[in-house]
Amino acid sequence: MRKQILAPIMATALLACAPALQAQDTVKIGLIQPLTGSVAYNGTADANGARLAVKQRNAAGGILGKQVELIIEDGQCSPANSVNAAEKLIQRDQVVALVGAFCSSATSAVMPVAGKYKTPFLTGVSSEASLTEKGNPYFFRSAETDALLGQAFSRLIVDNLGLKKVAYIGVNDDWGRGSAKAFEQELSSHGVETTLVEYFNHGATDFYTLLTKLRGSGADGVFVAAETQDGSTLVKQIKQFGIDMDVFGVGSWATSDFIKITGEAAEGIYAAVPYVSNLPGERNQRFVEDYSAAYDHAPGKYAAAGYNSLNIMMDAIQRAGGTDADAIVDGLHATDYQAPNGRYRFTAKGQGYGFEAALVQIRDGHTEVVATTRIADPEANHAKDGQ
Amino acid sequence: MDMLLQFIANGLVSGAFYALSALGLTLIFGLMRVVNFAHGELYMLGGVMGWLATTVLGLNFFAGLALTLAVMGACGWLVDRFLIERVRDQGEEPSILLTIGLSIFLTNTALLLVGTAPLTIEGPLPNKPVFLGPVVLTELRVFAVAACAVLILAAHLVIRHTRLGRAMRATFQDPMAARLAGINTARVYASTFALGTMLAASAGMLLGSIYSTHVSAGGLVSLKAFVVVILGGMGSFAGAIVGGLLLGLAEALWGGYISTGTVDIIGFIIVILTLIFKPYGLFSTQVERA
Amino acid sequence: MKFERNTLLALGLIALAFPLLVGNQYLLHIGIMVLLYAMLATSLNLIVGYVGEFSLGHTAFLGLGAYSAALLSLRLGLPAWATIPLAGVISALFGVLIGAITLRLRGPYFVIITLAFAEVLRLIANNWVDFTNGPMGLSGVAQPALLADASPLMAKRFYFYLALALTAVSLYLAYRFVYSNNGRAAVTVRENRFVAQSVGIRPFVYAMRAFVLGAFLAGLAGGFYAHYITFVGANVFGFAFMVSMIIMVLIGGKGTLIGPLLGALLVTLLTEYLRELQELRLSLFGLIVMAVVLFLPNGLMGFLNQRRERNHSDQADNGATGVQGGPA
Repeated sequence: MRKQILAPIMATALLACAPALQAQDTVKIGLIQPLTGSVAYNGTADANGARLAVKQRNAAGGILGKQVELIIEDGQCSPANSVNAAEKLIQRDQVVALVGAFCSSATSAVMPVAGKYKTPFLTGVSSEASLTEKGNPYFFRSAETDALLGQAFSRLIVDNLGLKKVAYIGVNDDWGRGSAKAFEQELSSHGVETTLVEYFNHGATDFYTLLTKLRGSGADGVFVAAETQDGSTLVKQIKQFGIDMDVFGVGSWATSDFIKITGEAAEGIYAAVPYVSNLPGERNQRFVEDYSAAYDHAPGKYAAAGYNSLNIMMDAIQRAGGTDADAIVDGLHATDYQAPNGRYRFTAKGQGYGFEAALVQIRDGHTEVVATTRIADPEANHAKDGQ
Repeated sequence: MDMLLQFIANGLVSGAFYALSALGLTLIFGLMRVVNFAHGELYMLGGVMGWLATTVLGLNFFAGLALTLAVMGACGWLVDRFLIERVRDQGEEPSILLTIGLSIFLTNTALLLVGTAPLTIEGPLPNKPVFLGPVVLTELRVFAVAACAVLILAAHLVIRHTRLGRAMRATFQDPMAARLAGINTARVYASTFALGTMLAASAGMLLGSIYSTHVSAGGLVSLKAFVVVILGGMGSFAGAIVGGLLLGLAEALWGGYISTGTVDIIGFIIVILTLIFKPYGLFSTQVERA
Repeated sequence: MKFERNTLLALGLIALAFPLLVGNQYLLHIGIMVLLYAMLATSLNLIVGYVGEFSLGHTAFLGLGAYSAALLSLRLGLPAWATIPLAGVISALFGVLIGAITLRLRGPYFVIITLAFAEVLRLIANNWVDFTNGPMGLSGVAQPALLADASPLMAKRFYFYLALALTAVSLYLAYRFVYSNNGRAAVTVRENRFVAQSVGIRPFVYAMRAFVLGAFLAGLAGGFYAHYITFVGANVFGFAFMVSMIIMVLIGGKGTLIGPLLGALLVTLLTEYLRELQELRLSLFGLIVMAVVLFLPNGLMGFLNQRRERNHSDQADNGATGVQGGPA
């Protein structure tokens, strides 16, 4: 009885697992993003950007003379599920390279898997600084770290906003804590006094208690690290509460969705973002047109991240001239990619730099670029200090 | 001192909202004893339906609310007749697993249909600040607290003073005797579930107009609602109100004087302490049946 | 009893041969995840199936085990053969503490208080940055030293056999518990608390033993998780793991030793293969869970046992296999 039941299960399992045996007539790239759960909104934007990049490349003839096949898996930002997705992509789909995982915790769990199978792995989002310090030769990051963004913007913020005392509020996760800490350090070094550092949990809806403390802190500006959902609720409540402070921060705020959800309350706030759809430049204009044509809205920070990371990976494979992992890694090191937001290169540790980031203000329901700055090569500083 | 007053005001407002979002669960978990892990998803659906009604169909807030209530009431009825009915009187386990399955299904189907973006519902009043001495509120919040009071009162009146309410009380005290007395208990269960669903959905829409909502909002709401119901004592409306206010106040004071990052912990600590020292809730009048 | 033991041995033999027959590392990875979940489901089953109380806080012990192993390995540099058993012991100690408080309650109150404990631990892990590294989590948990220069396939096989050994230990302990006076007493308590008390069984003591054993086994599984995934974050205390475990135990059939294994196998394979359906997969998964509750109320094992009893209507000793679980 038992065997009768088990046999078909095992058989289906084995059948379904058999790796695709047909000849590799496409170049497969795996993408792991959170497509369900509480960060699905951002993961979906990233996946949309990635799809667009692949579609464009295929229309232009693909790479290595073959079409690119993008296989997208849901990692739910959970370490265990992201590892499952990575094993599936590498072993069953036989992808030549991996992109993704979004949350730093998930990326951190996928990194040893990629290292073990010698699969090049690029993240366009995860900002936890230590990821590129782990000595994993297959890992690259085409995103700013919290510290790099803080360095790039602290001077701009001090000059443009003229702040003396700042309060810091961040979502209680690795990114929110890292960003608040990085900006606090940088701004303090420019002589800005810290009045308050507080975190809130993802999904919180009522910020009045936090705002009561903020009002009592005597700050003249407040730094906020929050994504669309939390950020819009927080910014709305800051205005409702009658707090008149300069609001600035990081997160996917420079998007039409954010402005639509936040309404009038978004007026006048500043966002430090690696990408905004009205950056100057023809390259960006074309990207915005193509993206809007495909998805009916302008791209935000995560759509651009997905788009850039896929393009960087496809370029690297093209440069490698084949799908050998070490050649792709060399290809990634040789990256000099012209993105909608500047030019991407990698340090020896695989940290991206050289691209532009913008300080954006929301005025009359539109984003306006106040200033742009380049994410500097982190090694350059080290070299100066060390030698 | 001003800070303390503001913390208390914040706590009372968010406490009223907690009470409102737990009302549906008070009926379904407190009276029907269905450990309903899809409660938060019913709340979320209320918000999503409200968004569809006001944004896509262009109705005003109250017409949208009426439509949402009608649709969600029907959904609740169907869920009870086709799903919960079949595991009635089989202990907690089947109903927990069933409602967990339902919550997974609802969250992800809603995600397929309306996407992942946060949704805002146009409220009936502006969100302009109102100053009461040192304390800040908004018109919409004052309205929402009043609406909570009305809904709680209405639910209370339904249970105390209507035929359906009497049938409900009889059924939950002793289903067998109620059946013998000629009460159609299946219909009573379904009505109760529908009523609980409508309460959850109205909370979802009302609070969606104050904050904003999205398809994965349900999990946190379920957890907080269970905290409120346990604190208040099962099945007691007055208890749910006190439980909600207590949770709101405790969170406001903890957030205000300790840290906002750990604020969720206080609710669970109170639950643990309550269950250790007063196992049937702070205000339960009924003693657990053996 | 004999049926259950023989089936377990047969399953064990299949599992022993599996890595040798299969060279596909993705399948091996799935196999490892199945075994991890089999451990977890077995440990939860001791509480749900043999105490008869529904714990929604079992991830507390998975999380405690995972954090213990990760911290012992990262901070004190202990090797995996020491951290995994210690993870079990630490979980068991917490099991004594949490059990002493929660087992006084029953029904929905027990459900909620166990959930509250898991949530409190999750929030502590997420906020005590100095100790647990907070939301940044603990990464780079060491792999066993002898894997330093093994090929990925060998490493996978090693982990598979490690997981298999731990699962075997879990099942052996569960088996010894279930077929001891302890286990029989626990079943009596589950089936009828008052009869049990009247024949001199103290329900609390037996429930407590099952609870602590369950905590120990979940802690072992957590220790294994830490070393295999190499990253531990506060989500190990989260509700998502709890949902998986509960679904496995109830789909497989609680109150049997084989049920949770079948549940772990089915649910893990299902969630992996539903990936093909992309966005539809979780909606479908929710529907499948509901369908199982409605159509297989006693789980797969309940269904199989019914069929078996109908087939051999001769002296099937249904008392000892204790299948038709659940308080009536």
